Amino acid sequence: MNREVVKFQHHVFYVTDLKRSKDFYMDLFDLQFSALNHPDSSAAMKLAKQEMHFFSFGHYHHDICLVKHHELKMDNESLLHYTMEVADAHDFDHILQKSKKEKIQLKEGRMLKSAKFEKGWKAFCIQDPDHHWIEIIHKPSRN
Amino acid sequence: MRAENYIPPNVIPKPLRKMAPLLKKRWLRKLILLPSTISGKRFSNKTEDYGVFKPSMISNLDQISLYVRDIEKSRKWYEDLAGMTHSRTCEKEPHPIKEGFQIKCCYMNAKDHEECVVFIEEYDLEGNVIIPSGMSFFHFALEVEGNSMEDVFAFAEQANSRGFEQNYGPVRHNDSIPHGDGETGGNVAVYFYDPDYNNVEFCGGMDTIDNYKERAKQMKK
Repeated sequence: MNREVVKFQHHVFYVTDLKRSKDFYMDLFDLQFSALNHPDSSAAMKLAKQEMHFFSFGHYHHDICLVKHHELKMDNESLLHYTMEVADAHDFDHILQKSKKEKIQLKEGRMLKSAKFEKGWKAFCIQDPDHHWIEIIHKPSRN
Repeated sequence: MRAENYIPPNVIPKPLRKMAPLLKKRWLRKLILLPSTISGKRFSNKTEDYGVFKPSMISNLDQISLYVRDIEKSRKWYEDLAGMTHSRTCEKEPHPIKEGFQIKCCYMNAKDHEECVVFIEEYDLEGNVIIPSGMSFFHFALEVEGNSMEDVFAFAEQANSRGFEQNYGPVRHNDSIPHGDGETGGNVAVYFYDPDYNNVEFCGGMDTIDNYKERAKQMKK
């Protein structure tokens, strides 16, 4: 039997200030904090000199995870963007309005000019506190 | 400009990769954490300690874009290792953020997830491909068909038989014996570096809200 992958499941990326990023993601998207791996709780983190904060969208243990590397300096421009899908149109509007109200750097439409954008889809892009670009998309036909 | 043979500093050196399976030994983990235990700083990383969860406004991750040096090389790697399929490669387009720069995008499908990964060649003002630093993300994860421990182990074996060498795993990210490495999430995982040293996890069997709520109930009994 040929084994293959079925989907993009979770994303783990570096941030410079865990508290600041945690507040951003929990406040704007209502993500649920699900676990903390710290050099005082995890052997791997102790060896790697890293700390990880896990967040759930509400089903899996984690969907995104923020990592602080206590030694290396990271380059936040080495990832162009990632996309989070919002199933509910009201939630999409809520995130958009809140982003505008909080004067978060925002770009209307999809991040990539060549990305699919079907009739009825809605999308915008914002930057998190580390300037990672996050694309927010709503695809009504899929829900 | 980084050299063609550039290796990001966060890449695990090969000798350390050979030792990584030792993290499955509970005694070694205890030894590593002994200073924290003695100083009273040690704490649990169990999800059951972090309360009850509810759905967020986000339903799922949809897409990730990866800077690569060579789209064709990346495409072959993800096709051969992960069974991903090519959706389309586009003509060059303006970079969405950097004025004067251009990008070329290649969209890849997983079996149930259309265009979930995009490879991006980035061109500077002189038209040269920029070699990515690989220093922005720790890893991203693709779920293996079947979503069980057995499926991930079989995936790892298949990858090895095709000549791919993992940098870590397969392990289970919990405290279970014999595959647990003491980490969090319950997912069974095997990690490979792609041609640009992006760390890619292939996973299955992650805990869900339902099963850790159930475990929390059992712990209280």
